Amino acid sequence: MATRSPAPVEAPVRREQVVRARGWHVVVWNDPITLMSYVVLVLRRLFGYDVQTATRLMLQVHNEGRAVVATQPREQAEISVSRLHAFGLQATLARD
Amino acid sequence: MAAIIRRGARVELQLDRGEREALLDIIDTLAPRLGSVERTVPRAYDDDQLDAEYARFMRPEVEASREADIEVMRESLRGDRDRWQLDESQALSWTRALNHLRLVAGGMLGVEEDGWDSTPDDSLLQLGEFQMLMALGWVQEGLVSALDGAQPPGR
Repeated sequence: MATRSPAPVEAPVRREQVVRARGWHVVVWNDPITLMSYVVLVLRRLFGYDVQTATRLMLQVHNEGRAVVATQPREQAEISVSRLHAFGLQATLARD
Repeated sequence: MAAIIRRGARVELQLDRGEREALLDIIDTLAPRLGSVERTVPRAYDDDQLDAEYARFMRPEVEASREADIEVMRESLRGDRDRWQLDESQALSWTRALNHLRLVAGGMLGVEEDGWDSTPDDSLLQLGEFQMLMALGWVQEGLVSALDGAQPPGR
């Protein structure tokens, strides 16, 4: 008796779309008055960055005029900006 | 002679009477200008409507925090003392207050570009706002160094 191999069954194609949650950028702007060392301190205290990361971001602010220091949901980003303002830094929110 | 020294978890600030009184005078001169100098009213959004919402709901909190920080600094300087032991919270209040006051002084001077302090001309050196800016910057730099664990030099 002849036997037949079962027809191959194709695995269903999963078409899940990976949706990246969009956030808001927290942007710190250069200010000629504010001390560079102070910016590093603020970034470390508010965002928990190590000194190397905070220094890199501070230098980006200084050299390029601005740097995205965090990307967060809008409510959180707004709180971050208000805290930066409370420290006297120039900071804004921008859509991701 | 002013000095800022890290002592364990605290920051010790040493100021003689003249320096203490000068700082109080600087606060009295610059603090009333907070909110009228552009840098001290930062925007949060490019969009006017969103920024208006931010101004309505968040800015009062920012301004209250700023006033509280300046009061911490002012209160520390009251009384006939020449050294203060600031805890971490107080030292951070001082750094924030100093930055806000520096923004006022810089705004009054019209500082817009980096490098303004590298080669100041004689006319700039004579201005009270410039001298206040530099004095506040020295104290702030010392406090930042002390908070970060580095030992700033005495002066």
